Amino acid sequence: MIGLSSRPSTKRNLTAVILCLTAAALMVVLLSLPLFHFQSVLFSKKSGNTFVGDERYIAASAEVTEAAAKYQAHQALGEVSITENVTERVNSKGETTSLVTFQVVLSSSRNGWQIMASSLPFGGILRCAMLLLVGALVLMGVSLSGGMLNESLRALPKWRKSLRGISCWMVLLSLALIPITAMNTIRVFEREIIFRLSTPEAAGLTELLRSADLFLYGGTAGEGVGDMLSGLTYSSTFALWAMIPVLFLILASMVTLCKGELKSTLASGALYLFVIALCVITLYPYYVMVITAFRENSEATDMYFTHMFPTKWIWSNLADITKRGVLGYLMNSLLLAGGATLIALVCGIPAAYAMARMRFAGKKGFLGFVIMSQMFAPVVLLVGISRLMNTLHLNDSLFGLMMVNAAFNQAFAIWLLRGTFVSISSEMEQAACIDGCNTVGALIHVLLPMSAPGIVTTLIFVFINAWNEYTISTVLISTPAKNPITVGITQFSSFNMIEWQYLFASSLLATIPVIIMFLFIEKHLVSGLTSGGVKG
Amino acid sequence: MNNILVRHKWEPYLWLLPSIVLMTVFVVFPIAIVFQLSFSEISRSGLVGSFIGFRNFSDAIGDPSFGTVMMNTLYWVVSVVGLSTLLGFITAMVLNKKFVGRKIARSIVVFPWATSLVIQASVWNYIIKYEYGNLNNVLLNLGIIKDAVNWRASYQIEFMWECGIGIFVTIPFVTFCVLAGLQSIDAAYYEAATVDGAGFWKKLRHVTIPLVKPSLTVSTVLNIIYVFNSFPIIYTITKGAPANKTDTLVTYLYMLAFYDQKKGPATALSVIGFVILCIVAGVYMMITMRKEDEL
Repeated sequence: MIGLSSRPSTKRNLTAVILCLTAAALMVVLLSLPLFHFQSVLFSKKSGNTFVGDERYIAASAEVTEAAAKYQAHQALGEVSITENVTERVNSKGETTSLVTFQVVLSSSRNGWQIMASSLPFGGILRCAMLLLVGALVLMGVSLSGGMLNESLRALPKWRKSLRGISCWMVLLSLALIPITAMNTIRVFEREIIFRLSTPEAAGLTELLRSADLFLYGGTAGEGVGDMLSGLTYSSTFALWAMIPVLFLILASMVTLCKGELKSTLASGALYLFVIALCVITLYPYYVMVITAFRENSEATDMYFTHMFPTKWIWSNLADITKRGVLGYLMNSLLLAGGATLIALVCGIPAAYAMARMRFAGKKGFLGFVIMSQMFAPVVLLVGISRLMNTLHLNDSLFGLMMVNAAFNQAFAIWLLRGTFVSISSEMEQAACIDGCNTVGALIHVLLPMSAPGIVTTLIFVFINAWNEYTISTVLISTPAKNPITVGITQFSSFNMIEWQYLFASSLLATIPVIIMFLFIEKHLVSGLTSGGVKG
Repeated sequence: MNNILVRHKWEPYLWLLPSIVLMTVFVVFPIAIVFQLSFSEISRSGLVGSFIGFRNFSDAIGDPSFGTVMMNTLYWVVSVVGLSTLLGFITAMVLNKKFVGRKIARSIVVFPWATSLVIQASVWNYIIKYEYGNLNNVLLNLGIIKDAVNWRASYQIEFMWECGIGIFVTIPFVTFCVLAGLQSIDAAYYEAATVDGAGFWKKLRHVTIPLVKPSLTVSTVLNIIYVFNSFPIIYTITKGAPANKTDTLVTYLYMLAFYDQKKGPATALSVIGFVILCIVAGVYMMITMRKEDEL
């Protein structure tokens, strides 16, 4: 029995080990191939008012050749070549002369070992990745030593199993470090060197320049390294990106050795990858809101993109917006959303109760009416609503806004509440009615306490809808002091200048309470939607 | 038997009365007013004149922007509803699986739903700015791009961003509707399918999709209506510029009514939008009512 079941696993393990070693060997090959190409101008000389072949030309040419020879002496640098660019032009005397531009160009490539030997940040990252890989291979080797290859996973000692698990994680980390290495080269050359050259007092720059000099020019550049680096162009080669599938192969074979199979581990890996990506994308705008809310305006509109996080957290932004009336807007919103919720529930609970518990002619017609009204967001009817409000003398009043919000949320409220009521058995109410309680009493004393979760869900839902409403408020409210927060924040974005830090600080204040409320009802919302919206 | 005794025949109507009054005054009346205005002459100052037949309609439709605006509305609704339904469905399938941190992931996914559209739109408006936007900042500092990218090089691209943001904020609603449907599926169906040797795709086609179809229908129809009426995203990011080329019906109508003071054509557009919504709503009601009969 044991012999039968262990044979295929032995074969599988052997295949995995061979695959792993082959991939590791391939990795060594890839490290010896050029990972990056660099091209930079080492020396340039312009010679004007000359003809090709005359004395000035020969003098300049000799000077350039001499300079090139200095670099050519260092074999390790790469290929040093001289380019010559001739532009003809007519000078003031009417003679045709040439402008000759000589350049000593260095094109070089660096392989993985050279990168790992350098003290630049991305060298460190690659070193880290390779150390992790070597460590993982060693650990896996230890866990396989002593003829453990053929042992079935269940009989394996615990420490060997955990060694295999750890080595899987190490390879995963090393895999993640490869794209980070590539990203870091760009960061180092584009931001940390080129960008900071314009601010020479930047800390740590000289250190970085010396490392770059050693890495690219073998230390020959000295003081001129800044100029050389500013003309640098570079690109990564396929060998760098080929490391990713090779490392993935190592990971896959190690997972096979660790778990005994591959498919479900990869599937759950993909699941986590998806969830992480989803959360990162969803949270991204909130990250932007938070970091911008506490920045200075100059930093929020920094054209050089210097910092990812505020250099200084400006808490006084919060104090500044309170001076601009944001607290008043928040109060208006609270009043508006609270009032709208109250009205919607006071009208909605009896209607939902009748729909859930009573038989009457025209029930279907009313349901149709409710569903129809759900169809019309107020935006299409804006002109009609604003005219109606004029007639009722409710324009520019929070009360009118409350009524409109309540009316347009009526459908959802009745929908959700009716679902809740239907899901609760009416036996208790019937018993209460027999005991001499009337329908109103049955509703208030029996049904409402029992359906509290559903009512809270509806309440919060309507509240959030009214709190977040924007369009009707812009039309109906004309006095700035009466604006709810959604309209109030637009005062920070005038036509030619937007005060982003204030805009987002007040947005943050408007968003946080609502998100917290939503988290409370999130669990009930799923069941509410099921009972109200789906089951009909 | 889930009904309770009612003493008088008129009692149920009394219970419905507050709701009916509220909706009649603030939903039905505006509809009536919009219809009346669309057939009347309206001066720039807002005075309502005499009946002029369909002249407001011909003015609105005759405007060269009308075709662009209607096409934009179509693109907007189809792309946002279609893609958010697809992505929301996938998200719901994933969030219905058991994994570490599922509760946290579900809470995070709901965030965009809880946030006001104006705020979301303002944040994205900042993110995609070329000169100092945060997307360029993050990508440059992480070393993913070498130079700042102009994310809004043309109005077509801006409109695509608006659609993308529309999809982003709509996904949570679809996800939660589908999740509600998924949770009501009896696990026995899947067990039976597994016994029959059905793989992932077969289970998806023959068990999951038929059983979440009702919730998917509801969420799709509601989404069509919400997205059709969605105003703040476009209004915040491009305001329809340049020359109404990124307007949808709703933003165009708003600008016409409250900026250009052309209330007549604006109400005509309202009626057109209303009729389109009525057709969608009619289809929706037929579906819902049929379900009601089944119960």
